[in-house]
Amino acid sequence: MREKTPEREAIGEAPNPLGLDGIEYIEYSTSRPQALGQVLETMGFKPVSRHRSREVLLYRQGGMNIVVNAHAGVVRGSTATDEPAPAIRALALRVRDARVAYERALELGAWDVPMHAQVMELNIPGIHGPGGAHLYFVDRYKDFSIYSVDFVPIPGVDPNPPVVAGLHYFGLVQYIGRDRTDDWTDFYGRLFGFLRLPDETRFGILPKGTLLQSPGDLRTHFYLQLIEPDPATLVYDEEEKFQRIGFGTRDVPAAVVALRQQGVEFVDTDHVKVTPQGALTRGVLQSVSFELVHDERP
Amino acid sequence: MKIDQFGMDTISLAGPLEAKLRAIREAGFAQVMLSARDVVGHPQGLDAAVQAVRDSGLRGTGFQVLRDFEGLSGGLHAYKVDIAKSMIEMCAALGCQVLLACSSTSRHATDDTAALARDLRKLATLAIPHGVKVAYEALSWGRTVNRFMQAWTIIEQADCANLGIGLDSFHLFAAKDDLDDLDLLDPQRIYLVQLSDFMWQETPTFEERMTTARTFRVFPGEGVHSEQLARLVIELDRLGYGGDYSFEVFNDDYQQLPLPVVAERARRGAVWLAEDVLRRSEPLPGAMRLGR
Repeated sequence: MREKTPEREAIGEAPNPLGLDGIEYIEYSTSRPQALGQVLETMGFKPVSRHRSREVLLYRQGGMNIVVNAHAGVVRGSTATDEPAPAIRALALRVRDARVAYERALELGAWDVPMHAQVMELNIPGIHGPGGAHLYFVDRYKDFSIYSVDFVPIPGVDPNPPVVAGLHYFGLVQYIGRDRTDDWTDFYGRLFGFLRLPDETRFGILPKGTLLQSPGDLRTHFYLQLIEPDPATLVYDEEEKFQRIGFGTRDVPAAVVALRQQGVEFVDTDHVKVTPQGALTRGVLQSVSFELVHDERP
Repeated sequence: MKIDQFGMDTISLAGPLEAKLRAIREAGFAQVMLSARDVVGHPQGLDAAVQAVRDSGLRGTGFQVLRDFEGLSGGLHAYKVDIAKSMIEMCAALGCQVLLACSSTSRHATDDTAALARDLRKLATLAIPHGVKVAYEALSWGRTVNRFMQAWTIIEQADCANLGIGLDSFHLFAAKDDLDDLDLLDPQRIYLVQLSDFMWQETPTFEERMTTARTFRVFPGEGVHSEQLARLVIELDRLGYGGDYSFEVFNDDYQQLPLPVVAERARRGAVWLAEDVLRRSEPLPGAMRLGR
């Protein structure tokens, strides 16, 4: 059930100003779509649709969508697809009204993403996020699939592949620069209504960072974990980016067993181990890893 | 080095960007406040200017200046948002973390402080993805905001993690701001302090302030407000301000002098502040000292 707030509640004053309702999709940009696709398949995702005009594939698992974009020039002015390492380039958010959400964000100081839809394709409004990544607003996700407009189903494939080990979106880890936690907390709070959780709040196994919780329904809310560079390291990276996806599951050890059977390897060191609280997959393709987090939600 | 906390502004020097950077570097400074005019006026374009700054080895103190941003509406506001976005992009490209935004002088701007705070909040939000902080500074001839405490009140109202205050000694002295009020500032939210002096005591009208500010500022230690300037720096130090000081010296005469001559005058100002005022270290025996 959605919150019982009026549809047109005064924007900006409500705890959920955009009617945020979870993640519609997460998009990777890569020059090696097949290699990334294989990695996603080990995590339980299946390719279900192909974009009509671009080299873009849609992967799905239960209610989770991942878009793999190998289309050159998708980020204007960038060389995103020339980079060998796949990168998370977009986070699409379910909102009550995409146009209202987009205009409100611009009014508050977001940078707009130029639209690049072809004829008869969907114009999904978006704004700039960290490190050139985009944040999109999608409002047609209940009785209508945005993918039915721009994507063609792959013949003979189940369009709704089952979930492996109860996985669902838990959130995203975002790497940020030094002393940038407050800035990004402001950004997500002001534009989307994210709440900063107390510093002692921890999910999963990795102890660092600041957690922001999206507003909205308890079943669909998700988290952003902001992680500054570790000052203990002499040379550290100041690059800001979405670093990895976190998947929630009720039973982390069972999920680890299931995923191991599909070829996924997990980090097992003195500092990071598989525990009932969480687990971290070993990085592949230079930068791609996933985190499992204990989460009671189905 | 003891003068590392101080830097020159490119606006104090004549000539091409590379020559300015070289003179500043050779005078012993480690940082430079960059002006958009220097950067966009580079004959080889913006990328070459960015490269020149990187090659200089100087750290960018900040980037100036966004004018008349807050308080506008409709098309004027949209226009200024576009200008601000370009300034933020240049600031980030130059590796500067602070964009200086001066209080509006526009008679088209509202004096409603809630609206001014809202616009500054928007500016700060625009700056976040680029890793830029906004230092809001009260021009002493600003239409609504012309005292530093007025700027601070609006900054507090806007309440953004990357919005802070820029202080300019010229404007503080010209407006006869009460330095005791510095105690009311949060030192973590002072993003930039610009220092300069001038050669007379009174600037009662906005016109006199503008003319003096734009043509006849001098380096710290060269004007008639040395005592106040020293007090300002000491107060800020006592308050816990550990950020940068840049010498915001617009001076038509300095535009006609060889760059090393001007940079040497700036260096003497920095040494005076570091050694005599802040007593960062014991002066070297026989080192040249300004008599005062």
